[in-house]
Amino acid sequence: MKNIYRPIEAVLEDIITESPTIKTFVLRPKEPFEFRTGQFIELTLPGVGEAPFTPSSDPNLKDKIDVTIMNVGEVTALLHSSAKNISLGIRGPYGKGYPLDKFEGKDILIVGGGVGLAPLRSLLFSLFADIDKYNKVVLRYGARTANDIIYKEAIPHWAKKKKVDLVTTVDMGSPEWKGNVGLVTTILKDLPLDLKKAICVVCGPPIMMKFVTLKLLDLGFNPKDIYLSMEKNMSCGLGKCGHCRIGSYYICKDGPVFTYEQLKDLYDIWD
Amino acid sequence: MHQIYYIESNQLETLFQKLKKSYKVFSPVAKGPNYTAKADYSYKGLAEGESPVFNPYRAVEPLKSFFTYAQDQAAEYFNRDEPVLDSMQVIVFGVKSCDIAGHKVQDFVFLEGVEVDSLYRLRRDNTILISGDCTDFKDVCHCLAWDILPHPTEGFDLNFSPLNDGYLVEVGSKKGEGLIQQYQEYFTPAKETQIAGRRVKRENLIERLKRHLLPQKLVSKDSVQRLMREGYNLDTWQQFMLTCVECGGCNLICNTCHCFLLADKKEGNINKKVKVWDSCQYANFTRVAGGANPLKTRTQRLRNRFLKKFDFFVDNLGMPACCGCGRCIEVCPGKIDIREVLKDVAKKLSASK
Ligand SMILES: Cc1cc2nc3c(=O)[nH]c(=O)nc-3n(C[C@H](O)[C@H](O)[C@H](O)COP(=O)(O)OP(=O)(O)OC[C@H]3O[C@@H](n4cnc5c(N)ncnc54)[C@H](O)[C@@H]3O)c2cc1C
Ligand code: SF4
Ligand code: SF4
Ligand code: FES
Repeated sequence: MKNIYRPIEAVLEDIITESPTIKTFVLRPKEPFEFRTGQFIELTLPGVGEAPFTPSSDPNLKDKIDVTIMNVGEVTALLHSSAKNISLGIRGPYGKGYPLDKFEGKDILIVGGGVGLAPLRSLLFSLFADIDKYNKVVLRYGARTANDIIYKEAIPHWAKKKKVDLVTTVDMGSPEWKGNVGLVTTILKDLPLDLKKAICVVCGPPIMMKFVTLKLLDLGFNPKDIYLSMEKNMSCGLGKCGHCRIGSYYICKDGPVFTYEQLKDLYDIWD
Repeated sequence: MHQIYYIESNQLETLFQKLKKSYKVFSPVAKGPNYTAKADYSYKGLAEGESPVFNPYRAVEPLKSFFTYAQDQAAEYFNRDEPVLDSMQVIVFGVKSCDIAGHKVQDFVFLEGVEVDSLYRLRRDNTILISGDCTDFKDVCHCLAWDILPHPTEGFDLNFSPLNDGYLVEVGSKKGEGLIQQYQEYFTPAKETQIAGRRVKRENLIERLKRHLLPQKLVSKDSVQRLMREGYNLDTWQQFMLTCVECGGCNLICNTCHCFLLADKKEGNINKKVKVWDSCQYANFTRVAGGANPLKTRTQRLRNRFLKKFDFFVDNLGMPACCGCGRCIEVCPGKIDIREVLKDVAKKLSASK
């Protein structure tokens, strides 16, 4: 029987600097490893520790996985100072991910904040691969400053794709920044959407998700049509270690993607 | 109706000497000489020549400690020579009804859900649970409040009920049946009168336990989930938190608590994942990077323990994650009594109606 706590080996093939605090790590697993968009992995720095991340690469690419990671603590700091070609461990994939079948035929609004664009990149790749199935993709992304924007090179290309409408904003402007200034909620006005057949996917820091959700409800979104990517302290990823309970759910196995409908009657979901 | 046999005490002695050749046999032993108060019982691996003791009530250690260890090696990784999972054949004698009932939570967590914990599975398969009727109870015992009887009715391999100079032995599983078959010379089928004798003894103990519990006016099993949901904002949590020293004892000693943490370490060239019991009463249990922590205060953490037991598990398993063993009450240096917390919620809610 498989040991669910043993990671498989993956070689760290490349490290791409996205912003002063965020890097993308390109991993080549030594055993077959597939995931669906929105599912997450537990990434082990051998002998040091493990932390949950959502792959940011195209799930259709079978032999490599990108994870875009912000330097915030022990494991992430050591990852950021790692060199290429070391071995890392991966367990997973865990969780349910985005229910793409429910998105078909719809206008899809995607709202990202900071490193929260990472899981959304894998969602975008999945949508682009089958773009005829969807009505349109409206992407709204916010970062703290122009410097903190990730996937800087890709964003202009995405903006030019068919059926895509993309706007970015920064909290704090700077002389070189020509775009919007203001929190991400400020670019949620006059959305080119047919609300009757639109869904929204939100991923970012809890405080951002809270205010975006309130705004979406205000705009008339149905709680069933708002998909949130919840983040809680996680250890096992499998509904066993007990860390990520919220209400009657374990975020790791029942999520990490939930509709607001599932969460709205629970206490303290934004903490 | 399960098969029931009878075994005489001296025969049991001989049987155990035989069993010890193929199994590691654990049995409760009284902790220290204690003539004035009731003794505590603690599990011990029986050595050559030692006989099991029939304990009147549960042991200090929860049953879970035979299946998940306080610190366990969960895996080695990137190691082609990783040792194959191994676990000894174990018999645990003297398990009580509360532990058997509460162990459903551990089975639910580690055997069901998305994937199976293979080490837990292996230990479960290699362990024979020989339970026993309670013939007495501790002050803190309150199994009956959760509709758990002080003798197990399922979930055991064999169950022992002391009667006269021997024991009635009820078969609860194929494993148990196998053991009886293998050692059939020690067992005789139980007589009607013996079974009737067991019934009387059981009823007497239940009566005594009821007389002990009735004045305590404990909350009922069916009401706890509502109490948790409606009592979320009561000051109960704040009040009872005041003496909590965050030792985590209540979680660690609890037969139903299952939370753990995975950590990594290196021993020589070998990478290991270690699994250690964790407690939701520890300040960092839910802390995430950057310092955000949904369970920042002791008030929130104390409430979390109750929500998990009496709301989450009622929803997910159909039963509260408490079996009334009272271990958390005995262990708490802050004298926080789970029964009193629940009663306080109930009292405040009914006063506010
Ligand atoms: C489902 C999910 C997907 C995620 N995806 C990404 C991603 O794509 N990119 C990214 O940069 N970050 C992501 N995070 C956050 C990331 O897991 C944390 O930043 C990371 O755990 C911090 O680890 P650390 O050891 O550096 O921090 P420390 O503060 O030193 O943390 C120590 C331990 O606490 C736990 N922990 C701390 N912070 C978090 C957290 N935010 N979430 C869960 N557990 C935590 C972990 O078990 C960690 O090992 C995700 C979190 C979750 C739950
Ligand atoms: S709680 Fe009940 S079953 Fe458990 S030891 Fe006490 S009397 Fe026996
Ligand atoms: S909560 Fe307390 S009384 Fe209930 S099972 Fe756990 S240790 Fe026993
Ligand atoms: S991360 Fe272990 S239960 Fe969710």
